[in-house]
Parts: sequence; structure tokens; C-alpha cells
Amino acid sequence: MVQPAAAAADMQAVLDAHKALGAKPIETLTPAKARLEPSAADAAKMVMRQRGMSIAPDPAVTTKDVPYGADPMQFARIYTPAATMGAGTRMPVVVYYHGGGWVIADVNTYDATPRLLAKQLNAIVVSVEYRHGPEAKFPAQHEDAAAAYRWVLANAASWGGNPAKIALAGESAGGNLAVATAIYARDNRLTAPVHVLSVYPIANSSMQLPSRTDSGNAKPLNTPMLNWFGYYYSRSESDKMDPRINLVGADLRNLPPTTIVNAQIDPLRSDGETLAVAMKKAGDSVDQKTFPGVTHEFFGMGKVVRGAYDAELYAIAKLKKALLN
Amino acid sequence: MKILAYALPLAVVISAPAFAQAMTSAEYVAAAGAGDMYEIQSSQAVLQTTQDPKIKSFAQMMIQDHTKSTAKLKAAAAVSKVKPSPMLTPAQTEMLAQLKAENGPARDQAYIAQQKQAHQQALTIHQSYAEGGKAVPLKMVATNVVPVVKHHIEMLKTM
Repeated sequence: MVQPAAAAADMQAVLDAHKALGAKPIETLTPAKARLEPSAADAAKMVMRQRGMSIAPDPAVTTKDVPYGADPMQFARIYTPAATMGAGTRMPVVVYYHGGGWVIADVNTYDATPRLLAKQLNAIVVSVEYRHGPEAKFPAQHEDAAAAYRWVLANAASWGGNPAKIALAGESAGGNLAVATAIYARDNRLTAPVHVLSVYPIANSSMQLPSRTDSGNAKPLNTPMLNWFGYYYSRSESDKMDPRINLVGADLRNLPPTTIVNAQIDPLRSDGETLAVAMKKAGDSVDQKTFPGVTHEFFGMGKVVRGAYDAELYAIAKLKKALLN
Repeated sequence: MKILAYALPLAVVISAPAFAQAMTSAEYVAAAGAGDMYEIQSSQAVLQTTQDPKIKSFAQMMIQDHTKSTAKLKAAAAVSKVKPSPMLTPAQTEMLAQLKAENGPARDQAYIAQQKQAHQQALTIHQSYAEGGKAVPLKMVATNVVPVVKHHIEMLKTM
């Protein structure tokens, strides 16, 4: 079996903490048991505590949970920067989709990135929960992502947000949803997002991608996990070639300026890299960067992983430019 | 099975867990018992420092409700001949350590964040055993605990 590239020491510390928390191989578990496993975010918090840092949520940002649909999973956690409350000016809005292969994890697992974006951009960040597989299979997640985007367009003003300054963002399966929702907005003539931030998206269903092999045995995401997720979120073989999952096969013309962030040691690295090529070919403005020495889930770990700090600065600069001009 | 054919290259890896029972009775008793232990201990930890009346009453309610569910679980486990040996998981032990490392309002905020995560996990545990469990007395406990956990989740949405 191909051994993945070595992680930087600070990234390795998080992987070691994940192991110390008892993380088992997800691909050997049932979805119920997989949802009980410690996450990479839990591991990053363990490293923070070991280094004497606070793991308490940053009080500069407040949150509230609001439903956007009838299903208990159809709600969003709205992050609001405390400092600007009552300032009178309308804040930009970021609609954020969490990762977890559409099967595991939730808005609680992915708290770091939306909280960071709300603080750094002085923006309202709407972190969308959505139905998961196998209870609700594809395209339930894409339908929920689109419904939540429509809901934000209609309601952002009532939260103090500016509906003309909306960006889409997401990580992993949520990185896919960010791009897929931009496509949905174009096709349905909705207000277009001003920018899309897609962090290591699921974007290419080819089995031949280099990263599927060179990082096939990486942690915390490996290629067998990708197949395990696919097994539980899709209805049939043909779903994986649906352009909403296989984004490289979608009509990518006339999409908003997009930033794609990838990790070197990640079986999804080639997805982001090939998506950037396909979007450029379609005439879109795309910036893509692959950060060395880091793995899947590194984004949001900027307090303890240097590569994550760099990636966050890069992504925040792109969003700032789009949202604050 | 059409869906199995789809995963053919990896059928060996994936088919077994896909059709396995979501959780055995012993696994359920261990996970539910550990969840209760974590709930009680974390709530005790926040009660030592919090000045927030809303958090105080929520934490007291958690101790009360999770003490009750532990008693029901123990009784049903005895009838079902499952030996309860509740032990915190390494992740729960770490969460308690994190909570105790925080002070003042930071501990309050960390507590609420942990409660949201822990209750989603508790819902997963009780829901999956309520649906797929084998021992009837334990299944009844799981079924009865689900709405309690859901109520806690609804309360947490306002915190």
C-alpha cells in the first residue's frame, strides 16, 4: 500500500491526538457508530488544551439556531459578530456548508470555520445543517443546501445582513455544496453569490485521480472512507456521475469568482485541482492553492497548525475582497 | 441487492457493516451509560463556577434527567442480562478536562458547545438502539429516552 506523504510536525500532533482519542477506521463502522467517533476538530481542541489554550467558543461571535424547513435537520446556526450589533450598517453574509461526507458530522463538529469567518470578515455566517444519508439520500443534501440559500436571500436583511453581498463557502462535502449551490443559483436566476470558497470539495468521481492513490491511505480521510460515504449517501451507481456530485462534469460557465483550497495529504486533493482546471476552461475566475504538509480537515485549525493559519489568511483575503468592496 | 452491486469493488469492506446491527445490547448499555456519566460530571463541573441562572437550571436538569435514565438503563440491563460497566470514552474524558481547564464565562460557553455535541451523539445512540436493538427492555428505555434528549436539544438551540 502506498504510504502518504509525511505531515508537518504541527499537523502530525493533531493526527496523534486523534489517535489518542480512540478514533477508529470509519469505513469499518455503521453510520450510527461512525457518528459517535471523535472528529479531527476534537483532536485539534485536545492539542489546544495541551498547549494551555482555551477551547471555549470565541465570545466575539454569538450564535442562534433557526429552522429553514420542517425536518429537524433543516436548521441553520447563525453566527453574528457581537461587536457590530446595532451598528446600523448591513453586514455581508456567508452561507457555509459543513463536511462529513453527507453521512457523519454536523454544525457542532464544524464550528471553527464559520466562527472564524464571522469574526474576521465582520459578517453574518449562516452554517447550514442538512439531512444526512443513509436516512435521506442524495440529492436531499443538495436540495437542502439550495433551499437554505433561497431562505438566506429572503431573510438576510431581517438579521442585519446585506442580501446583495452573499458568499458561499463549505468544506469537503460542504465544499461541493457551495459550488453546486452557485450552479443552482445561476440556473434558477437567483441573486448570484459574489464569491465561492470551496475547501477540499468532493468534485470528481473518477477512480483514477492521483490523490486517490498517493493519499489513499492518509488520515483522517482515506479512499475507503470516500467509498463508504458514497455507499450510504447515494441511491444507485448513477448518482456518482450526477453533475451535482461529479462537479467537473457540470456546466461550469458563468459562475462567481471562486477560491479552492486543498491539502497535499488528502485523497480529495485532485478533486479540487481538477475542478479548478475545469472552471478555468469554462471561463470562470478561479484561484486554487494546495497547502503542503497538511491533511484533510486542516482548515480551521489555524491556532495550532501553521499551514491552516496560512490557508485561512488566503481564503479570508479572497472573501474580504469580494464582500467588503 | 442493487445497492450492493454498486459498491462491488469494495463490497468486501462495506457489505458487512452495512447489514450489521447498528449497535449490540452491550454496546448500547456501555455507550448510553457513558453518555449519562459525561452529562452528570460536566454539569457538576459547570455548576461549580457558573453565575448564569439559565445555565445553572439547565445543568441541574441534566443531572436530574441523566440520573433517572441511568437508573432505568441499569434496571433494564439487569433484566436483559447485560452487565453495565460504564466508562467514559477517551473523547469524553478529554471533554471534561477541557471544561475544567476553562474558567468563568469561558467555562459556560464551552459547556454549552459540548452539550450540543454530546446530545446529538446521545440522540444517535438511543435512536439507533430504539430502531434496531434486540433486547426488549433496553429498547423500551431507548424509546423513552429519545424524546427527553430531543427536548434537551430544543432547549440548547435557544442557548
